[in-house]
Amino acid sequence: MSNENMTTPDPNTESGSRVESQTSPRPGSEVVDSDELNRPKTSETVVSSRDLDVFYGDTQALQGIDIEIPKKQVTAMIGPSGCGKSTFLRCINRMNDLIDSCRIEGELKFEAKNVYDSDVDPVALRRRIGMVFQSPNPFPKTIYENVAYGLKIQGKTENMDQKVEDALKSAALWDEVKDRLDESGLDLSGGQQQRLCIARAIAVDPEVILMDEPASALDPVATSQVEDLISDLAEEYTVVIVTHNMQQAARISDKTAVFLTGGELVEFDDTQKVFENPESQRVEDYITGKFG
Amino acid sequence: MATGHDGPTGDWFGNSEQISRLPGKVFAATCLAATLFGIVMVAGLLVYVTKDAIRPLTANPGWFLVFFLTLVVPSTALLAYFGRRRDGEATVALTALGIPFFGLLLGSGVLMLFIDVIGIFEWLAFVAATIVAVGVILGHRRVRGRTSFLEELLVGVVALVGLGPVTYQFISTFPTLPQAWLIYLFTFGLGGAAIAGLLVARRRNDRRAGLTAFTALFVTVTAGVFIDPSTGITPPVWVILFTFAAIPTALYAEGVVRRRQGSLPVGLFFPFVVVAGMLVGAVLVDLLGFAGPQAWLDIQFLTSANSRFPEEAGIYPALIGSILMMVVVAISSFPIGVGAALYLEEYAPSSGPLSVVVKFIEINIANLAGVPSVVYGLLGLALFVNWLDFASGIVVVGGMTVGLLILPIIIISAQEAIRAVPGSLRQASYGMGATRWQTIRRVVLPEALPGILTGSILAFGRAIGETAPLLMIGAAASVFRAPNGFFDIFSAMPRQIYTWVGQPSQEFQYGVMAAGVVTLVTVMISMNAAAILIRNKYERRS
Ligand SMILES: Nc1ncnc2c1ncn2[C@@H]1O[C@H](COP(=O)(O)OP(=O)(O)OP(=O)(O)O)[C@@H](O)[C@H]1O
Ligand SMILES: [Mg+2]
Repeated sequence: MSNENMTTPDPNTESGSRVESQTSPRPGSEVVDSDELNRPKTSETVVSSRDLDVFYGDTQALQGIDIEIPKKQVTAMIGPSGCGKSTFLRCINRMNDLIDSCRIEGELKFEAKNVYDSDVDPVALRRRIGMVFQSPNPFPKTIYENVAYGLKIQGKTENMDQKVEDALKSAALWDEVKDRLDESGLDLSGGQQQRLCIARAIAVDPEVILMDEPASALDPVATSQVEDLISDLAEEYTVVIVTHNMQQAARISDKTAVFLTGGELVEFDDTQKVFENPESQRVEDYITGKFG
Repeated sequence: MATGHDGPTGDWFGNSEQISRLPGKVFAATCLAATLFGIVMVAGLLVYVTKDAIRPLTANPGWFLVFFLTLVVPSTALLAYFGRRRDGEATVALTALGIPFFGLLLGSGVLMLFIDVIGIFEWLAFVAATIVAVGVILGHRRVRGRTSFLEELLVGVVALVGLGPVTYQFISTFPTLPQAWLIYLFTFGLGGAAIAGLLVARRRNDRRAGLTAFTALFVTVTAGVFIDPSTGITPPVWVILFTFAAIPTALYAEGVVRRRQGSLPVGLFFPFVVVAGMLVGAVLVDLLGFAGPQAWLDIQFLTSANSRFPEEAGIYPALIGSILMMVVVAISSFPIGVGAALYLEEYAPSSGPLSVVVKFIEINIANLAGVPSVVYGLLGLALFVNWLDFASGIVVVGGMTVGLLILPIIIISAQEAIRAVPGSLRQASYGMGATRWQTIRRVVLPEALPGILTGSILAFGRAIGETAPLLMIGAAASVFRAPNGFFDIFSAMPRQIYTWVGQPSQEFQYGVMAAGVVTLVTVMISMNAAAILIRNKYERRS
């Protein structure tokens, strides 16, 4: 992968980023209304990108993305279909490496280290950045084995029962499955399967959890369960979530990134600001449903 | 909206047949006819051959009547009754009959290997080496917490390849050695009872139940050793057949009883009805003096060697030869085939210059699957006999040649199975931070295994019937004793059948040959049945 932007300054010095200068909350600065979300806002950035271009073969899917994702907050990504939200998500934990035709230029930092540096092991990266996919994809193994999977492959085998229980409790699934841990994960309902996948992702205690439309295959009840869960998760984890549901983004996220067709990041700001008073006319049109 | 069309609204539901179904109906009928034709042809052939092998017309009609009354009527009636109850009792009944039947077949195969091929002390050395290997792995786990798969593999290979032969040498210097029956009892009987006990303990979540099961099984198998050997049930026969037939049956019965909780699973008594019917029938026929058919296919045929006289001719050495050959086929083709398929599907680059080479290889594998078997015979002859200097006509050469023949089939079917594993599962695994190897071992392989096994066992079914390669590599036309190892000359069933067909006497050409064909087909169908069972078992899991 290309490292041509390696010489850019450390993002903690916060210089020169197009978007962040107006949006990134600084220590001590007034954070725009968050009382209903009631969680401490830190300004620390975990994931940041600078001038990130992504190509599939010859077609460009993302153009010069600059973003700074804050720690222990929920960042939502919205935008019309095909604008590159999933692509960006997959860049963060290098799942794009699995796609042969995918080429990445620019810089994407996780905790001040460019993840596309040649000395970064993508496997080690993915152990710190968990992922939940659009459609629930539990392994055809028992519920217990599903949650224990990450622990096993990462060799964290001490106290496994306890960790599995904790993960299932955090995913609000424990009460429903505690008596049937040795049944197949595929026997669960869709919403339960998705929470199982979330439990699987948090069992290994990652720092960031990426969610690609985690509620798109769920009914309203299961969706609201997953939404509640995401708000809880943000107390401990950084959550980046892709969604097509504006209300959902407005309800659960602290920050919102709007991608528009062509793979541009058009606006990135506090959720309330984006929804109530967007900078760009195109974003306003998109949010109010005039196009997209 | 619905009546926007200006046609008459009265017959929108199609009663005037505007929508033609004719082509579809014709197509369905043609397909049905083709299927029936195929089935009838194959079944007809089998019935014809079986008729020659059994010669039912030579039997006294009374013989048939007796068995019809004692065996056929009661068991069919019972099955029909179970079938009408529609609570799965018929399945229980048939499974309870099938498990001991296949267990007996498998046990007989193992028994033959022990009588003719594997020395009892070699076996002891092998078991000892395995125990040491397992002990090392468990000990290491206790100290270090866990073992990697590679370490386990390494220990296993060292134990079998290095430790086994050394132990054998070591054992053979002992002045006194345990008696054969003790070795059988403590390797097969104890091992089988222990596995069953563990399974019961796990399924019931109850250690005491497991222990009870273990004790009951082990006491029974030990008691059986003291049966008078003149009945034909010698200790090895008893122990091996008990391990392969009785223990799985007992496990199955235990499972059914546990699931039914309370209500008695009457289906389990079906095998007793069948066996009792056979015994009563046999006794009655004997008392009434009704002669059975003078079948070519009988115990004598299965247990004796070929002979100049058709009445004395048998298939035993060729049967053993085929089993040994299949062992070599499986060992030489299965790991390589699955490995190649895994490489092509999971590792090989799908873009870039190397991907062209990979595509080329894949196309060639597909082509190799269609190369005639005679050509593979020639290849085996050139490769193994002329080039690698093996003796011609020995078991390994036959097995490896036929192994080469089915290798492309195994690769292709394994590739299909691996490709059928949903990509979302791989994504999930990689997303959790699994390496490629972890993903393959923990997600892809378990998921693809039923498919891989089904494809491979079907390929083995093809392999056991191959004749042309055996002709090319010089397998013996007929041998009079079973091969006593993998480097001994051998003949296989199809080769033996081919020899019989070429004999001048009619009895060989029709009778003995038919008996051989039925034996071969039975072995092959058993293998396919096993394939189907395995597939169903794993498919139900997910
Ligand atoms: N594996 C791939 N190979 C080639 N092109 C791809 C691949 N994945 C995505 N693309 C292209 O990249 C662009 C962005 O796709 P992406 O999946 O990131 O969109 P998205 O914003 O997640 O859309 P949606 O909301 O529908 O999920 C699209 O034009 C798509 O066609
Ligand atoms: Mg997407």
